[in-house]
Amino acid sequence: MDSLDQTEWDVTISGTGLPQSLLALALSRSGLRILHLDRNGYYGGNEAALALRDAEEWTQEHGDQAGQERRAFSQAELVNKDGERSQTGLGPSRAYSLALAPQLVYTRSNLLPVLVSSRTHEQMDFQAVGSWFTISAPLSIQQEQSIIPTMMKVPSGREDIFADNTLDLRAKRSLTKFLRFVSAYDTDELQAQWASIRDKPVAQSLREDFGLRTDAAVAPLLGLALVPSSSDTTVMAYLVPRIARHMRSTGLFGPGFSAVLPKWGGLAEVAQVACRACAVGGGVYVLGQDAASASTTEDGRTEVKLSGSEKVTTKWLVGCVDDLPHSFSQQTGKEDGKPWPRSITIVSSPLTSLFPTTSEGGVTPAGAVIAVDSPDSDEPPVHIVAHASDSGECPQGQCVLYASTASENGMEKLDLAVKSLLQSVGEDPKPQVLWSMRFLQRAPRSAVTQTSDSAREGNVIRLQTLSTDVVLEDGMLEDVKKAWHAITGESEEHFMKFEPRNGEAEDDSVL
Amino acid sequence: MADSSQPSAPKPSSSVKLVLLGEAAVGKSSLVLRFVNNDFQPNKEPTIGAAFLTQKCQLPTRTIKFEIWDTAGQERFASLAPMYYRNAQSALVVYDVTKASSLVKAKHWVAELQRQASPGIVIALVGNKLDLCEDDAEGGDEGEGEGQGEEAGEEAGEGKGEGDDGKVRKVSAKDAKSYADDEHLLFFETSAKTGHNVNDVFTAIANKIPEASLKGPRGGATAGGGTQAAISAGQDSSRVNLNARQGAEGGPKEGCAC
Repeated sequence: MDSLDQTEWDVTISGTGLPQSLLALALSRSGLRILHLDRNGYYGGNEAALALRDAEEWTQEHGDQAGQERRAFSQAELVNKDGERSQTGLGPSRAYSLALAPQLVYTRSNLLPVLVSSRTHEQMDFQAVGSWFTISAPLSIQQEQSIIPTMMKVPSGREDIFADNTLDLRAKRSLTKFLRFVSAYDTDELQAQWASIRDKPVAQSLREDFGLRTDAAVAPLLGLALVPSSSDTTVMAYLVPRIARHMRSTGLFGPGFSAVLPKWGGLAEVAQVACRACAVGGGVYVLGQDAASASTTEDGRTEVKLSGSEKVTTKWLVGCVDDLPHSFSQQTGKEDGKPWPRSITIVSSPLTSLFPTTSEGGVTPAGAVIAVDSPDSDEPPVHIVAHASDSGECPQGQCVLYASTASENGMEKLDLAVKSLLQSVGEDPKPQVLWSMRFLQRAPRSAVTQTSDSAREGNVIRLQTLSTDVVLEDGMLEDVKKAWHAITGESEEHFMKFEPRNGEAEDDSVL
Repeated sequence: MADSSQPSAPKPSSSVKLVLLGEAAVGKSSLVLRFVNNDFQPNKEPTIGAAFLTQKCQLPTRTIKFEIWDTAGQERFASLAPMYYRNAQSALVVYDVTKASSLVKAKHWVAELQRQASPGIVIALVGNKLDLCEDDAEGGDEGEGEGQGEEAGEEAGEGKGEGDDGKVRKVSAKDAKSYADDEHLLFFETSAKTGHNVNDVFTAIANKIPEASLKGPRGGATAGGGTQAAISAGQDSSRVNLNARQGAEGGPKEGCAC
């Protein structure tokens, strides 16, 4: 194998997480000499997808608390460490592709047009996230067996609302009125009304301004918006744009769904496809190495010492905070927030009722969202994103549940939320947990609070890490675009706009 | 979207991801070029990084669209291959029948695929450059030594000087076949130059892909009418078409603040 020692590069990208990989894609036709490293032996970094055995190794590597301050993940563990694998009905390790980044991609996300214009979308499959559900009165720690929690499907439109027999007529009218407001909240006509309510707490405003009093009317709205905090502490300025995003995304790529998932392991697939595109353009890929330290040379280039002790020089060094040498990775502030508990659970049932076809002739969804209320109303909910086996993440007849919460000490809450889902989903035979892992993820809470996370120090660029939001946010790609602009100096309208390569079909109408 | 060029009722259609692996200059890109464009380039340059191509394969009852990743044979840091065989349903492992060491490398790739790739991946072992072997050149109207330079595959000049003495074959079909049988691989000897056996390899792979892995797992018996409609329209029932953005709906609601 060749040595990297003393090689010269235009751009050295450290880490193959989604932001870095998208930058690699953006630079793939630039003619620049690109070296793309990852300290791991696999692609995807914080957004990787892992086979079962790899996930078990991953939990060991991320289990330690000490020395992990810089890292996104900590306190990882398998939930039933000594469960006898052979009897649990699990498939072979490689039949699984568990996503560290199972984020929903709204159809209006800025990622999708970029995948199309960069001609990478034909290399991946996207699947619909069909239905949203809420679970109220979930199991609590104190009284685990008492009542069976109730699961409700969130109405997906006006017809649904009026067909819903849990709402009285007045609530239906109020709900319709509220949704009409949301669909136009940012127009001139509604400017005054919006200004008057935007800073109000959600529960208060829905009650006072829209006449939505009952939990039955409010819970679906909170679920739809995937509000990570309790309804008492959330303001309308957070809720309304998120519901608007949902509504405006519905139907964009087909009837009855508003968000999609990349097949084969969530955002890992996008990262891989992006890296491949860069490799096709001549980018050099090296796994198992990262930028251990960096210093500026006399001619203004950056000398990077790799973890394997080889030295390369580069004009630009780019990475996320986890992947850059320590000296560049200091936090810009304490905006990171508290780490979020997350879990990944493999279930012994396809949970078919979570994935109803969205409309006549429409696609079969592979994703569903379940918002589980907290038993204490001032506590944050748990959000579960369910991926069907169609996603390629587990064998047929099974299902993968990705749960997360903003709740402190939320590990037990995640377990209870998953149990509540399995109890209320009404499948027969009753679904069992086959395997489960959990961990903490430290990341910027949301693009709204992290405008300054991306930073440049000379020719070293630090990219934003993905937030812990259940939804992929547009800020990440905007940040990649900024880095691309700094490196190439090209104007925005050329970002990710590529011609077909030789041998590529101009446009393929089938499939 | 249905294939409008098909006058008859559209057959079910599915994508199959295929990766080509093998030592440098065994003719991987030439095989794909023959399959996709029915073309041959005598002095093809080495593949840089990789190339992505697609080609449809018509079977009696269904259409398979191959999404082909053609990888570079001389890879500097052994970090690329995993990103190509990830989620691949099939692999073509290619060696050069005139170069014994290329079969050793091919066996290495087979072992890595069996260890790392998706369970159930369909692997075909392919001995290329059959046209160089006069003794059994079925395709052979050009048995002359001159063919050799032309068939040099990805690296111009590689494979030269193996001798014009008529004993160019270094890997016997029998040995390779018996290895392939032991490892449950499909086996073919091909010539990208003459086209001999090239389509047969891809057709054999298409036939061996289990039907269950092509349909959405829930697309069968339990599916509702909508799913059936999607399948008979020649579409994976779960796949969202990103080219099908509904432009009209964007208009008045554009300017989303999120």
